[in-house]
Amino acid sequence: MNATGYGWLVLGAPLVGMLIIALGWRVLPGRSAGWLGSASIGISFLASVGMLIELVDRPEESRALVGTAYTYVETAGFRADLSILVDPLSVFMCLVVSGVSFLIHLYSISYMTSDQGFARFFAYLNFFVFSMLLLILAANFVLLLVGWAFVGAASYLLISFWYRRGTATAAGIKAFVINVIGDVGLVIGAFLLFDATGALDYASIFAAAPEVFARNDAQLVGACLMILVGAFAKSAQLPLHTWLPDAMEGPTPVSALIHAATMVTAGVYLIARCHPLFELAPIAADVSAILGTATLIFAASVAMTATDLKRVIAYSTMSQIGYMILGVSVAAYGAGLFHLMTHAFFKALLFMGAGSVIAAMGGIQSLDRMGGFRKAMPFTFVTFTIGALALAGFPLFAGFFSKDEILAYALERGGGYAVLGIVGYIAALLTAFYAGRMVFRVFFGLSVPEADELAKGHLAHGSHANPATGEEEDTDVGFPGSEHHVAEREWPMKLAMAPLALLAVVAGVLGIPGVTETLEHFLEPTFEDSRFAEVHPTAAAEWVGLAAGGLVAIIGLGAAFLYFMRDPGRRVATRERFAGVHRVLINKWYFDEIFDHAIVRPVAASGRFGRSVVESAFVQGVLVGGTVGVVRAGTSLARSIQTGELRSYAALLLVGVSALILYFLIVSS
Amino acid sequence: MNTSWFVVLSAFIFCVGATGVMSRRSPLVVLLCLELMLNAGNLALVAFARMLGNEEGQIFALIVVVVAACEVVIGLGIIVGMFRRRLPIDVDQMTELRG
Amino acid sequence: MPTVHLSIVVFLPLAAAVLAAFLPARVGRWLVVAATVGVLGYAVAMIADYEPGTTGLKYVTDDNWISELGVRYQLGVDGLNLFLIALTALLWVPSTIWGALRSGSGARAIDDRAALLPPERPRLFMFHMALAETAVLGAFCAQDLALFVVFFDLMLVPFYFLIGGWGEGDRVRATTAFVIYTLVGSLLMLAGAIALGVLSAGDAEVSFSFAVLEQRTLGEGTQQWIFCLFAAAFLVKAPLFPLHGWVVDTYRATPVAVLVLLSAVLSKVGVYGFLRIVLPILPDASAYFQDLMLVLAVVSILYGSVLAFSQSEPRLVVAYSSIAQLGFVVLGIFSLTDIGAQGALMQMVNHGLVVGPLFFIIAVLTARAGGSPTLEQMGGMALRAPVLAALFLVITLATLAMPGSPNFVGEILILFGAFEDKFVFGVIGAVGVALAAVYMIRVFQLSMHNRVGPGAEPGEARVLELVAIAPVTLVVVALGVYPQLVLDRTEGATAAKVQPAATVAGGQPTGAQDEAAEVAP
Repeated sequence: MNATGYGWLVLGAPLVGMLIIALGWRVLPGRSAGWLGSASIGISFLASVGMLIELVDRPEESRALVGTAYTYVETAGFRADLSILVDPLSVFMCLVVSGVSFLIHLYSISYMTSDQGFARFFAYLNFFVFSMLLLILAANFVLLLVGWAFVGAASYLLISFWYRRGTATAAGIKAFVINVIGDVGLVIGAFLLFDATGALDYASIFAAAPEVFARNDAQLVGACLMILVGAFAKSAQLPLHTWLPDAMEGPTPVSALIHAATMVTAGVYLIARCHPLFELAPIAADVSAILGTATLIFAASVAMTATDLKRVIAYSTMSQIGYMILGVSVAAYGAGLFHLMTHAFFKALLFMGAGSVIAAMGGIQSLDRMGGFRKAMPFTFVTFTIGALALAGFPLFAGFFSKDEILAYALERGGGYAVLGIVGYIAALLTAFYAGRMVFRVFFGLSVPEADELAKGHLAHGSHANPATGEEEDTDVGFPGSEHHVAEREWPMKLAMAPLALLAVVAGVLGIPGVTETLEHFLEPTFEDSRFAEVHPTAAAEWVGLAAGGLVAIIGLGAAFLYFMRDPGRRVATRERFAGVHRVLINKWYFDEIFDHAIVRPVAASGRFGRSVVESAFVQGVLVGGTVGVVRAGTSLARSIQTGELRSYAALLLVGVSALILYFLIVSS
Repeated sequence: MNTSWFVVLSAFIFCVGATGVMSRRSPLVVLLCLELMLNAGNLALVAFARMLGNEEGQIFALIVVVVAACEVVIGLGIIVGMFRRRLPIDVDQMTELRG
Repeated sequence: MPTVHLSIVVFLPLAAAVLAAFLPARVGRWLVVAATVGVLGYAVAMIADYEPGTTGLKYVTDDNWISELGVRYQLGVDGLNLFLIALTALLWVPSTIWGALRSGSGARAIDDRAALLPPERPRLFMFHMALAETAVLGAFCAQDLALFVVFFDLMLVPFYFLIGGWGEGDRVRATTAFVIYTLVGSLLMLAGAIALGVLSAGDAEVSFSFAVLEQRTLGEGTQQWIFCLFAAAFLVKAPLFPLHGWVVDTYRATPVAVLVLLSAVLSKVGVYGFLRIVLPILPDASAYFQDLMLVLAVVSILYGSVLAFSQSEPRLVVAYSSIAQLGFVVLGIFSLTDIGAQGALMQMVNHGLVVGPLFFIIAVLTARAGGSPTLEQMGGMALRAPVLAALFLVITLATLAMPGSPNFVGEILILFGAFEDKFVFGVIGAVGVALAAVYMIRVFQLSMHNRVGPGAEPGEARVLELVAIAPVTLVVVALGVYPQLVLDRTEGATAAKVQPAATVAGGQPTGAQDEAAEVAP
């Protein structure tokens, strides 16, 4: 089978899996829906490997293959085929997505075992992976939009998976609406490109772009900014980021898959894919870099004070995606994508570990209630710590190589980018701090009752209340079962977390500067047309950057150690001293409130205004009432002749006939 | 005989009938007056037939007689029905067809 | 494939209904259902027989009707009405089935709720449904302006009886307002049609046939006031802001089976009229009024969307959403571009396909919520109703034009058409897309998710309900996978219709003289 054949298999396997589970869930025995779902993603991963092998076999120049199924839309100059693009970038993304998805499917088999909606979960999960792969493999903007929107829909379904909870459904709508805003931006961007180049597929647009657009051409900048709207909505960057923390309402595997490893990286992928356009419109690339940096420091600051464990990890994701966006915006494509891969590994790992901890806590997610799980959950402790160290960029872990490479690039480009790089280092300090915060608060310190019980061998049962609001749960369909599952006891969960932990440690080997630059070389064919292909920090410069990063990580972890281990009282004292700052951070810099007042309320008010004033007064009153009134008046005038009295009819008849006769008599004479 | 006398007589009977229709309250009398008007028309038709010497007027008068008979049947049927239902036999009170 | 005699297609339902009037009610109503299925079969055969890229009319029926007035009995099918006929045929089937239902043996208490009762006086109900189908099919197939006007006005009669006789709530007032409003527009259109036929003839023989009218030219001033007359009728039918006042009361009062037809099919006759009559025959006026129409379209989109998500009854949400969707269609038509018109035609078909199952689902939900039509009473209906929830989700996502649905294809074509010359209008339209997502997901969520509402009893969709909902949903999904099916066949026709107006809008005159120039020697 050739590369595109493998590509169709990559897409087909999850789709078929979803259909089988969705249509046949009543007949599938026991937990086989989960195994079936995992198997289909496994097939997808193997097919991705097949794609990789096929692609590597080919010479470097011809590593961009397009396979077309049929013409999707073709009319009046608008043409979009159902075609997939197999090149190093898409193969790389497919491998990461399908690989991590497979492990998360395995994890979910035991994590969701006692959930009533088990089959539904795996159908949705397979649908999501299919959508993500479609997004990655699409060869034109229309198919990209289809994958883009499907991913948004899958995200909505999975976030509001426990749909009996008001908080979950509200979070789902929020994510969906922000996603649709991104879709609209993408449509406008696609049009601006179509208008100038007459085509919608990547190959034609990227080939025509240098001829059609001058540097920083207004239309191109507009198109790129619209693409950024889409990318930022999907990747939860400022200012379209408010949906991501709320999305933690979904089950933990969903957070691991969608909101760490795959969906939120779609924006990064898109910018990398459209790099010829962004390089022709540096203004847009700069906007992207600045906003990405703003996000990464904003999110890191909020993560320092958030009390919900999953939300800390969510903000951490936001922050790390900011790094990736910064990376691909300063043309450090290899570095940015390398960080995408390592981030997928350690972030998924962190979420899985968090899931385990939350299960041990019986569903409670608040950091304030956790502590001392080190002895009760050794496996989770080890894997979580590995993930946290990778996140912090501790020397020699995967994050160390990937994150600091981006910053080295930024510094190399100089000028304003160096400033962004410095900000990145500051944020790295905060990152290390909050990573340590998580580890120390959850696993060290005084043991909470749940931990003691678990150490004795008894797993806490979940309560029937929504942990966020305390609202009484409806314990029917769609409720997380009261049975929870920790990694120590479930071998599928261990089987899923172990490879990720391993990768979080050794994946750095793919990008050691000056030694092995496997990933960059692999991705080269896609990015060789980049104007910055030659801009490359020297190995020495990179090692300096790495060293700085490692130092920052160690300082951050050390500070966390001091704060949370040595002197617990200091934490409370600092919070009181910087109460104002703390309040701003706890309230996420009030972004939610700003959007509520600026957008949501005015729109709702205009709806009410429309209903009460325009509808009732103007339309109903004047237009309809007016027309009907006029007609009614006319007819009642006519009606007044119909008295129903025989004699008046007779009189009228007589008078009328006489008048007619008289008329004709007079006229004829 | 001068045809004019017949036409004048016909007009006179017609007017008597018309006045009766417009001024009487009992539907039976109204029907009667309607018969008067119809027969006045018959008279005029026959007079003109005799004046012109052909039968067309007479044939037409026969048709009018038939139509009058049918109409009286229906009218009387309605009045009998009203009587049976004990409705007031008064033209001024029969206003169900008011618009 | 022998020629399909279009008269059969048009009059089959009426013939069946007349026949059914003499049969006992039990048999008669299924005869009418069979006739609608027959029409559907014909429609599918016509689609299969239609070669992509054909231009011109097929299956033409051309007979003398009132030769003194120049009115001919002309029917024909081309890319423009092919799929609208199919839409009509497709949607009439579940509506008549729904209307022909009997409460089967062992009906449980929940089936007695309003949505699922069989209608009283079934034969009369079926007669009116069949008459309505004949009228609508006639309006779509007509190739003569006078014939079109006849069928257009005829459409109103059965709907008057259907809503007034079998409706709910304040039905008499609602249907009176609806009929008066539409009739005023229709009468204006009649005047315009007569004027068009007579004035365009000049010295030649008066003719109302579309083909002949398209060849003749009219002065610009004449075109403009005739345009206004036609627009009055079509905008009321569509409906578009501000002529949409009849919508709220009528949508509340109409029984479900009829509402589906009203919203899905009847509204399309109006915008079809724009494409078939106004744009090709009055090109200068179309170009002149382009901006005004675009403003009306965009205002409708925003107004409809904003009002849609402040409603508490799902029927009204869909009602306002229809205003917005038809605003999109008019946006596409009056972008006066090929691509926009293609999108508009596609969207006409899509909206019809989507709105049908939507109303049926809402009727089911209303029945489950104890007959109360408000969203507060519903909630958590997805419990133990996976099939219903899945169908509702698919339809909801299609309505909000999520990429992957055919509605997305229609909308992106419309937007691309609007963006070409009227970028700002397009952007405002795009905002409407985002708003659509909000109100549709809101309805889905408030009825299906969260806690079970106060009066609600969730339950899976019954077989008969699925018969009405599932097939059309499958058609929507199929079109989403292969939208080229529609686009291939409509391209030639829409291009021909838009081209005269597009040339005028682009700055070249089509040959219509200014009225002042006519007077000058």
